[in-house]
Amino acid sequence: MMASKLLASALRRSSPSPAPPPPLRRLLSTAAAAAAVAEPYEEASSGVVMKGVRISGRPLYLDMQATSPVDPRVLDAMLPYYLHRYGNPHSRTHLYGWESDLAVESARARVAALVGASPKELVFTSGATESNNISVKGVMHFYRDKKRHVITTQTEHKCVLDSCRHLQQEGFDVTYLPVGPDGIIDLDRLRSAIRPDTGLVSVMAVNNEIGVIQPMEEIGGICKEFNVPFHTDAAQALGKIPIDVDKWNVSLMSLSGHKIYAPKGIGALYMRRRPRIRVEPQMNGGGQERGIRSGTVPTPLVVGMGAACKLAMKEMEYDHRRISALQERLLNGIRGKIDGVVVNGSMERRYTGNLNLSFAYVEGESLLMGLKEVAVSSGSACTSASLEPSYVLRALGVEEDMAHTSIRYGIGRFTTEEEIDRAVELTVQQVEKLREMSPLYEMVKDGIDIKSIQWAQH
Amino acid sequence: MASAAAAAAAPSKPEVLALLRSLLRTAREFHDYNVREYTKRRVLDGFRLSKGLADPSAIAAAFADGKSQLEVARRQAVVYSLYAPEVKSVMEVQR
Repeated sequence: MMASKLLASALRRSSPSPAPPPPLRRLLSTAAAAAAVAEPYEEASSGVVMKGVRISGRPLYLDMQATSPVDPRVLDAMLPYYLHRYGNPHSRTHLYGWESDLAVESARARVAALVGASPKELVFTSGATESNNISVKGVMHFYRDKKRHVITTQTEHKCVLDSCRHLQQEGFDVTYLPVGPDGIIDLDRLRSAIRPDTGLVSVMAVNNEIGVIQPMEEIGGICKEFNVPFHTDAAQALGKIPIDVDKWNVSLMSLSGHKIYAPKGIGALYMRRRPRIRVEPQMNGGGQERGIRSGTVPTPLVVGMGAACKLAMKEMEYDHRRISALQERLLNGIRGKIDGVVVNGSMERRYTGNLNLSFAYVEGESLLMGLKEVAVSSGSACTSASLEPSYVLRALGVEEDMAHTSIRYGIGRFTTEEEIDRAVELTVQQVEKLREMSPLYEMVKDGIDIKSIQWAQH
Repeated sequence: MASAAAAAAAPSKPEVLALLRSLLRTAREFHDYNVREYTKRRVLDGFRLSKGLADPSAIAAAFADGKSQLEVARRQAVVYSLYAPEVKSVMEVQR
């Protein structure tokens, strides 16, 4: 026993250990710091090598639904709170606390103004995931004696679906509404799904993968009619489409900072005061944020979110006009050069910064890997590690092969025309290359109907 | 109130042009490709949009806004240069 252990350890020692991966931190090192440390990768002129992929420069970023860069104007507002204004906003006894508190409240007012709410109705959280958890689980837990049923959709974000799954394990009923091929829910189905013990309807405003905008006012109207609280995940909608909590008649709304050029780690939850909606807090402690979300409020992040909301209010129209033009340029550019390109989700009821395309007769992973100079993803960042096709696309009824080849292009405030043109060029090049190799595409060109082929099970 | 009105006097044409030039010069100093291009574009579009302004107080407000944006841009151009990545955007790399 002992000997075998010794042998094993000796073997381990003598076997050549794999070279340690290059430390990630160094890739992010600053120019100043880099002077002191060894070059983390080969010469800058030859580009970056990471995960075995060589790229001539930093890829052009078209993944704005995953996250957005921090706007320099937002950073400018935040920096003082990282330097000398470090007070705890809940400190009531000195200037440091007062100035932080003032900054937090002014940020709250800015977020509120963007969604047409009162600042008193907003609670800062760590992000939309936390807001969604508080909304779905918090409401149902609070009203657990009378309300046992939740309605949501099949295309919700993972955190809403997982919260619902959690509720199911506790014995609650959940209805997952299907969506049409355009990604929009059927209002009559929603109406008929509502029961006397329905405690919450949760429908996201703008879908993260396909950018489809749900008919919020109509859903809000139905919820009002049946007197059911309405929650919406508006992480992808904030600052991009006009939001009015009264027009939408939402009781709860989840917001996120890092989708609107604010930093990661900050979000907000809107909770209606009249009629009042109550939730059971997920986090207990010092009673900050009216006891809904205990824990010290991160002043710099909150200031960043406030600055981003103020900017979004000012820039929404300008950004929208520009982003719409870029989306059109991207779609026309790709469609003009290759066929078999399908837009996933409604094109009419869509946030224009999102373009989710499927390319027929190519293999999705190869396409994504080939597009290494374009930072895009196949769907949501949360599931991009798995090879499974997106559940959102499957809910739309997209065929398995087409769901596998989807690419989500996310256009934002800082995207340029040249980037769009380059993305078109690289996508077309890659799709053509893959199709050249594809036996399927050859068969299609020969006029064989692929659907008629009997594939062997494997 | 009177002093506020005096301070809000509309700027002269050379003053406006000087502000435009300063903003464009600062925009060029950004190391980041996307921020640089955005700043240039936003400055030009902003001035284009404000071209039609006739009300002196609106012109003064737009001018004051431009001034404060210039301050932000100057500070951030420095911050961005301090943390400039060694590898540039593929858009800036010669192919």
